[in-house]
Amino acid sequence: MRIDYTLQHPIALHAAFDVEGFTVLLGASGEGKSLLLRAIAGLVPAQGEPFGGLPAQHRAVGYLPQGYALFPHLNAWQNVAFALHGAQRRQQAMQWLERVHMAEWAERYPVTLSGGQQQRVALARAMARRPQLLLLDEPTSALDPVTREDVMAELIAEVHAFGIPALAVSHDPHLAAVADRLVLMHRRSIIQIGTPEAVYTQPVSGAAARLLGYRNVHRGHIDGTASAPRLVWPEGGVSLPIKGQAVVGMQVEWMIDPSAIRVTDIRDASSDAIPATVEVRHVNGRVTQWGMRCGQARLWVAMHGNQPLPETLALHLPPEAIRYWTGA
Amino acid sequence: MREATHRARLPVAVSALTLILLAAPFIGLVMVTHWRDFGFADGDGSAVLVSLLYSLVALILIIALGTPLAWWLARHPMRGKWLIDALLLLALLTPPLALGLLLASMYGPYAPAGSLLERAGLVLTNSVPAFVMAQFYSALPYYVMAARAAFESVPRELEQIALTLGHSPWRSFLHVSLPLARLGLAAAIALAWVRALGEFGAVLIVAYYPQGIPVKLWVNLQNIGLSAVYPLLWVFFLVAMPLPLMLGLAVRRRHLL
Repeated sequence: MRIDYTLQHPIALHAAFDVEGFTVLLGASGEGKSLLLRAIAGLVPAQGEPFGGLPAQHRAVGYLPQGYALFPHLNAWQNVAFALHGAQRRQQAMQWLERVHMAEWAERYPVTLSGGQQQRVALARAMARRPQLLLLDEPTSALDPVTREDVMAELIAEVHAFGIPALAVSHDPHLAAVADRLVLMHRRSIIQIGTPEAVYTQPVSGAAARLLGYRNVHRGHIDGTASAPRLVWPEGGVSLPIKGQAVVGMQVEWMIDPSAIRVTDIRDASSDAIPATVEVRHVNGRVTQWGMRCGQARLWVAMHGNQPLPETLALHLPPEAIRYWTGA
Repeated sequence: MREATHRARLPVAVSALTLILLAAPFIGLVMVTHWRDFGFADGDGSAVLVSLLYSLVALILIIALGTPLAWWLARHPMRGKWLIDALLLLALLTPPLALGLLLASMYGPYAPAGSLLERAGLVLTNSVPAFVMAQFYSALPYYVMAARAAFESVPRELEQIALTLGHSPWRSFLHVSLPLARLGLAAAIALAWVRALGEFGAVLIVAYYPQGIPVKLWVNLQNIGLSAVYPLLWVFFLVAMPLPLMLGLAVRRRHLL
């Protein structure tokens, strides 16, 4: 489904993209993502398609706001039945609850349900309205971090089972990684669209890389000569050899994968290595992420297992692993 | 530990003192009432009827006209709203006697609105409509203020969700806003009822007749003395209490949060 919306107030925003399967619109806070969803749902004035000009109650959208907004005075099945009419309301509501595996909680009031359960009831309620498009505002924000991944897996499976396009807006890279299609928004415009595989492999800019949750994205400029370019990193207080055709003097954003950085003893290090000290250790399964202080900035280094670190450290950034974008 | 229990005792002691202060006049009433020759003055019965019946009419008018205003004030931000706030405050601030005088100067027989309405057959001096009007004016601002706060406490998002689920704004109001605001609305209705029923000053000026309980209490005091005041006062409490009491109980029983 093609979305093409323009907002003037309270902020100016234009967004046009296709929603296919479970699409995630990824952007930082304050980009107006929630506002865009509310505009599509008809809750804030805007021009665009689909549903342009219709009042909210005539738009076939299922809208799940942050926190899900279940009616506190109604229990689970009554919440779902709110979108239904006729004598069969209760029975139909129960069928929707069964589809999201919440039938046994039908008599419970929202305050007694967990975040994930509330989300499923809200999904059943939104689906009971028979929408052509599902809109989800920050669906991971109200979830318990421990169960979040499972709840999202469940949600996405259900959205696929319902077979209607869903648009989720989020700033959560974890959610972006499980999308069918990814749309990146930066400074109120769309900067990249594609499958998560394509977008994660080739982020179009430093801003895109940051949105995707990549670490080690920094600013710098190109120095040296056209045949032997060097990247000057003012925050780190160093200049590093890089590969490729760079124009001297150009401002760039650059990035390096934490697992590409090599840790050496400063006494054995080359002149291009960066002196570093350990700030923080982040153990995550078999990989340990080290936060290393380099001048005014921090570089993250990923290492397998529990390798001992030399007492005095230097970081070696292989030129072929440094990726940079011009026009920063 | 000892300090903690000591600290917990202080609010209890203060609350007890406040309750005793609150109860003192009524304890006095129990003591000064002549229980042996408990009797009513002429016209006390009709005063009770007048009070109950016409206060109910005033209350219905207040709810019918005040609820949309309260809703509108709670939901529609606009410039110059402070003027409306000031108007509501003005109505709240006006001493009851002064309110009666102002009503007479607007709706009295020789006043601009009064003479027009009188030509249309609506007499707003010493009449049932005048009685209802005085109660309406004195209780309306209380109702609007309380009902507005009740509507403001309803999350707007829930009303909007009702729209996205295919309900019209009116149905969203009926099925979401009203039930969620019911605690505050019940309090607003109870407040309006108590204010309307107990109004003396404004009623005295524009509607000496028909006599409701507050004016009749004063008349009894003037004509007979204190002994004729207490029995009617007991009846007043008896008839005024059930509505606000039941409203509070009924709403709380269905309160599920």
